[in-house]
Amino acid sequence: MRRSKWLVTVVCFLITALVIGGCSGGAGGNTNGNKPNTDPAPTDKPAEKVKLKLWGAVPAEAGPQAVVEAWNAENPDIEVEYIRFVNDDPGNLKLDTALMTGQDADLYMNYQLTRLQKRVDAGLAVDLSTLTDYKVDEQMGPDAAQWKIADKYYGLPTKKNMAFIWLNKQKLDEAGLPVPPIDWTWSDLQQYAAKLKKDNVYGLLQHEAAYTATLDGTIAGLGVTKADGTSNFDNPLWKQNFEILHNMMFKDKSTPEYSEQLTSKMPVDTMFLKGEAAMLTAGEFIFRNANNLKDYPHDFQIAFAAIPRVNKEQTDFKYPGGLGDVLSINAKSKNQEAAWKFAQWYADGGMLPMASGGRIPSSKSVDSKQAIDLMLKGVEDKYDRESLNNVVFGKFESFQLSVPQQVIDARKEEFEKYFLNKQDIDTTLKNMAKRHQEFIK
Amino acid sequence: MKRRSWLQKQGWMGYAFILPNMLGILLFFILPALFSFVLMFTNYQFANPDVSFTGLDNFKRLFQDENFYSSIKYTAIFLLSVPVSLILAFAVALILNRSVYLKGLLRGMFFLPYISSGVAVAFVWMLLFQPTHGPINEALRWVGMVSPPGWFADPDAAMYAIDVVQIWFMMGYNMIIYLAALQEISTEQLEAAKIDGAKTGTITWKIIWPLVSPTTFLLLITGLIMTMKSFSLIQAITQGGPSGSTTILSLYVYKTAFSYYEMGYASTISWFLFAVIMLITVIQWIGQKRWVHY
Repeated sequence: MRRSKWLVTVVCFLITALVIGGCSGGAGGNTNGNKPNTDPAPTDKPAEKVKLKLWGAVPAEAGPQAVVEAWNAENPDIEVEYIRFVNDDPGNLKLDTALMTGQDADLYMNYQLTRLQKRVDAGLAVDLSTLTDYKVDEQMGPDAAQWKIADKYYGLPTKKNMAFIWLNKQKLDEAGLPVPPIDWTWSDLQQYAAKLKKDNVYGLLQHEAAYTATLDGTIAGLGVTKADGTSNFDNPLWKQNFEILHNMMFKDKSTPEYSEQLTSKMPVDTMFLKGEAAMLTAGEFIFRNANNLKDYPHDFQIAFAAIPRVNKEQTDFKYPGGLGDVLSINAKSKNQEAAWKFAQWYADGGMLPMASGGRIPSSKSVDSKQAIDLMLKGVEDKYDRESLNNVVFGKFESFQLSVPQQVIDARKEEFEKYFLNKQDIDTTLKNMAKRHQEFIK
Repeated sequence: MKRRSWLQKQGWMGYAFILPNMLGILLFFILPALFSFVLMFTNYQFANPDVSFTGLDNFKRLFQDENFYSSIKYTAIFLLSVPVSLILAFAVALILNRSVYLKGLLRGMFFLPYISSGVAVAFVWMLLFQPTHGPINEALRWVGMVSPPGWFADPDAAMYAIDVVQIWFMMGYNMIIYLAALQEISTEQLEAAKIDGAKTGTITWKIIWPLVSPTTFLLLITGLIMTMKSFSLIQAITQGGPSGSTTILSLYVYKTAFSYYEMGYASTISWFLFAVIMLITVIQWIGQKRWVHY
C-alpha cells in the first residue's frame, strides 16, 4: 500500500518535471541554436532562409500584404510574414507578450509614444544607433525627433501623421461658406457647424481618435505642467474649448450630444461619406474608406481644414500630426540584422503600397508626389486639391503626446461628466488638474 | 498482509486519469495564483524586467486610491442583482410549477438568456436602453416621464441598468434550479397544510420557502461569487464607463493590469477581491444555520 502511494507520487512528479522541463528545454535549445545566426553563414552549407514576423495594426489587405509580397519576391533569403494586431489594449498586450518571448515578433509598429516608451523600458526595442549609420533625422526630417526616447531612436517613424477636419465641399457651397483658413478657431468652427446643420445632417462629427485634438495641441504648446510643476489641466483655453463644444451639443445642436455618440457607437466616417454630416474631425486613416467608392459611394468633393485653435489669441498651439507608424525591432529577436535590413527598405519606399490608405512615407528617399498620386489614383476628382495640399500635405508645428494612459483616462472620465451634464465646467477642470497632480506626485 | 482487491490495486490508475487535468489546473491556475501572491509585494510592470520588492507599498496605495473605493461602491450596487434575481426566479418558478398554459414554452423562454451569447445580448440591451430613441425610454416618455434617465450614458444610472441586464441574464438559470427544488417537495405536505386551512401566502412563505432554502443558499453563494467575478457583460456594454461609473472591482483589476500594465498593484486588488468573496462566503456559511433548513 505504502509503496504504491510512493510510486504514484513519484510518477506524478516525473511527468510534471518532464512536461515543464520539456518546455524550458525547448526554449533553451533555441537560444543556443540562434547563436550561429549572427556569425557569417558557413560556406559549405547553403544559407538558411531567415523568417521574420512583422506586426502592424493595418488590415493585411489594406497594403501590408502587398508590401510583404514585394519584399519576399525581391529577397528570397529573408521571408517576412505580416501579422495584424488591433491597436487597443488587448491587441497591444498580445504584441507585448509575443515580444517578450522573442519567438513570434521581430519587427513591430508603434502608434503611440507612451506605448513605445513602455517597450523601451522593458528592453523590447533595439537602440537603432547601435546598428548602422542610418541618419534618422536626415531621412525623416525634424519631426522625427519627437519619437526620441532619452535622446535615442528606438524605431523608424515611417509615415506622416495627420489629423484634420474633412469637409463636404458640396454642403459648404450650398451654405455659401468658403473653405476655412488654416488658422481658424473653435468659434469659427461653431459658426460653420451651426450654418451647415440641417434635418438629419450634423454640422460636425468627431472621430474618437481626434476628439481631443485641440486639447492635446493646446497642452503641447502650454506645457503639461505649469512653471511651478503643478498640473496645467485647468488652463483657461481648455475651459473655452469645452464650453464651445458643450454649446454646440446642447444649444446649437450642431454636433451629437455626448450621450448619443457614446451609446449608439456612431460610425462617424460612414456617416460623413453618406452625407449625414458636413464636417468630420479625424485623420488620414479615413482615406482608406473615402477612396473606396464601391463600399462608400459618394458624389461630393471633399475639402480639408486644419484642426482649429481655441481662439485667435492662442499663439503656441501645436498641431497633432508629425510622424507616426514607428517601426521597431524586437531586442529579443534572433534575426536583428535581417530585420534592420527590412526596416530600412520599408521606410525608404517599400511601404508605398500603403499610400492608397493615406499612409505617406516620411523618408526623403521617397518622392512624395508619387505617394500622393498613388493615394489619389482613380479618385482625383473627389478632392479639393488646394486644401488637400495646404492641410493634408501642409507643414505644421507638431507634437507627440507623452501623457500616460492613466492620466488620459482620468481626464476623459472628468470631461465625460461635463458633457453628460453631471458636473459644471469649473469642477471638471479642477478635478482634472487634481487627478493629474495626484499622478505626477 | 491483507490481499488487496483488484479495485484497490487500480488506485494509481485513478491518479493517472486525473493527471492531465490536474497538471492543467496546477500550471494555469494554482501556480499563477501563487505567483500573483508574490507579485502583491512588488512593483512589477508587465514585460518590464526591473522588478523590486516594495513591501506593503501596494497596500498603502490601495487604501488611498479613490478609484478603488468607487469600484467597491459599484460592485456593491452590482451585487444587488443577485437577491433580486433570486426572488424573481422563485416567483416565476412557483407560477410555472403549477398548471399554466404553454408551460414548456415559457420555461424555455425564461432560460433562453442564460444560453445565448453574452456579447450579442449586450448589443441588444444597448439598443433597448438607448437614451434618445431606445424603446425603453420611448415607453417611459409615453407614460409621461419628461426626462427619463440616460441609462448607459448616465453615470448615476448606468450601474442599475447593468443590474437589470444581469438579473435578466441570471433569472433563467435560477428559475430552473428552483423548479427542480419545487418538484422535490412532496404534495402530501402541501395538501395537509391546505386541509388545515392554510392560505396560499402562508403555504408559500411558511412551507415552500423554508423547504427550498438549501437551494436559495446554494444560488445565493454561487450567484454572489459569479457576480463579483463577472466581467464580460460590462466590458461588452460600457467598458467601465461613462466616467468610470460601471468599473466594478474585476474591471478595475483588468484595467490596472492590461491597460496600465501595473501587475503588482493589480495583484493586490485581485487578492483583495478574493478576500472579500471569501469573507462573504464565510459569513453566509455561518449565517445559514439561522435560515437554511435541510
